[in-house]
Amino acid sequence: MATAAIETHGLVKRYGEVTAVAGVDLTIAPHNIYALLGPNGAGKTTTISMLTTLVPPTAGSAQVAGYDITSQARQVRRRIGVTFQDIVLDPDLTGRQVLDIHGKLYRMNRQERKTRITRLVELVQLEEAIDRRVKTYSGGMKRRLELARGLLTDPQILFLDEPTQGLDPQNRIGIWNYIRELNRERGMTLLLTTHYMEEAEVLAHAVGIIDHGKMVAEGKPASLVSALGADVIRVHGHGDQQHFLHTLGTLPFVEQVQIDEHDNLVQVFVDNGNRRLVEVVQAASGNGFRVEDIAVAQPNLGDVFLRHTGRTFRD
Amino acid sequence: MHATYVIWSKHMTKFFRNAEEALGLAIQSVLWVVLFGVGMRGIVTQVSGGDYLAFILPGIIALSALAGAVGGGMMLLDERLRGITKEYLVSPIPRLSILLGNAASTTTKALLQALLMLLIGVLMGVRLAGNPLGWLAALLLVGLFALGFSGIALAVAAVSRSIMGYHGMIFLFNLPLLFASNALYPLSVLPTWMRTLVLFNPTTYLIDAVRALAFGAEPTLGLFSSTAVILLFAILGIWLALTAFRRSIRR
Repeated sequence: MATAAIETHGLVKRYGEVTAVAGVDLTIAPHNIYALLGPNGAGKTTTISMLTTLVPPTAGSAQVAGYDITSQARQVRRRIGVTFQDIVLDPDLTGRQVLDIHGKLYRMNRQERKTRITRLVELVQLEEAIDRRVKTYSGGMKRRLELARGLLTDPQILFLDEPTQGLDPQNRIGIWNYIRELNRERGMTLLLTTHYMEEAEVLAHAVGIIDHGKMVAEGKPASLVSALGADVIRVHGHGDQQHFLHTLGTLPFVEQVQIDEHDNLVQVFVDNGNRRLVEVVQAASGNGFRVEDIAVAQPNLGDVFLRHTGRTFRD
Repeated sequence: MHATYVIWSKHMTKFFRNAEEALGLAIQSVLWVVLFGVGMRGIVTQVSGGDYLAFILPGIIALSALAGAVGGGMMLLDERLRGITKEYLVSPIPRLSILLGNAASTTTKALLQALLMLLIGVLMGVRLAGNPLGWLAALLLVGLFALGFSGIALAVAAVSRSIMGYHGMIFLFNLPLLFASNALYPLSVLPTWMRTLVLFNPTTYLIDAVRALAFGAEPTLGLFSSTAVILLFAILGIWLALTAFRRSIRR
């Protein structure tokens, strides 16, 4: 089966004058975890909203689970599970009621609902809290309840918009484990957006970086990273940055240079960090740029992000 | 139909779970009958040959139906502002059932309020008309009226950006509907200009019909035309809600 789980062609969403998504082409293979990365306002949530049939696209087309998101929205809705960026729960209902009502909306029968809810509550470890009202839950518990709700109907494709936003590290790692398990054991396709680089690095088979409503890079995390160069030399310092950069540009072994104005950080991508370290320091000091700290590292997805969006990931 | 029922039952669960809301509405109703009704009964002993409490009870019933509808609209607004509507929108249910579920729960609440008022009125010694069919017809009309006002409340809830805005807009409807009607005073004592104004208010027709059907008063407007006006009002309310709702989800 070569059909993609999700496929979009020139997907566009405009709100009046504002273009939120400016032509996104995206292909997600079945049984994959795909992470959509991008700065705030890049168009991630709008893309997810279109793919989950919440808002119609202004132009372009998309198939989800093989069905068109506009003309076959009902078929799409039957096959997807969604957790939204903001927590969307009724504070006055108990966790069990939330799940039960959700199951009823999808016409699951009583027995099905009962067994699924028992299993999922166990999976997200909410056994003790499930009969309490949602308003007594902590942020992490609410997220886990939402995850259980998204999974209740056993969707082919699960959309997770910022699934671990605002969670402490322990809860975050817990959610990562569920996500990986779901993907590995059930072959579920997952599309998630995230703010956390580690999240994408740890989970995703493929990532797409989106900026100003356009896809600026796409691929396996490892190949995106290796495209940057073998090593990165991170230079913190003050002084004549312009001249330093100019000199770096003339060095044959320098593959790429990135500047983070905010932190006075210059990142030099080179073929071999340890060997070139001295030369980079020389280039700096000979040009009135005072080095305060220097380190050799392997580039990561954060560097890929900076390269393509001009922004560090936390912005 | 199924999804409409699911949403209706969810809203009713929330309504009864949220004790403050249910209790608050009930107390509000009781206060109207007990304090206002009894107080006025002391100074106005005779209105068109009947008891004053019996005279104003239909008005209070109409008002409590309004209060119930306002509470029902709040539920839609609350779900919209919290984003819970999104859960419905990504699920495989007809869009219309979201509105119908809301309209059904809102009307149910309004009817419950109206029934409670009627009960209290009877306990306070208001005598009902002899024919139970008349009571049923009166309740049916109250239901239609509640549906119409629920429509207005839902339409406002579908477009409001905040809870404050919602209450502000609802307030514009609420009191004029009561005071610019025959709820507290008979049509015959009103000056012509106010009489004309009052005749544009659907509440007037409901009250007149309920007085006739449930409490055995002489109808002043004609039962048939009253029914027609209330039916029209119900249709208008639902149409308003539908239009506003369609606009709110197409974004």
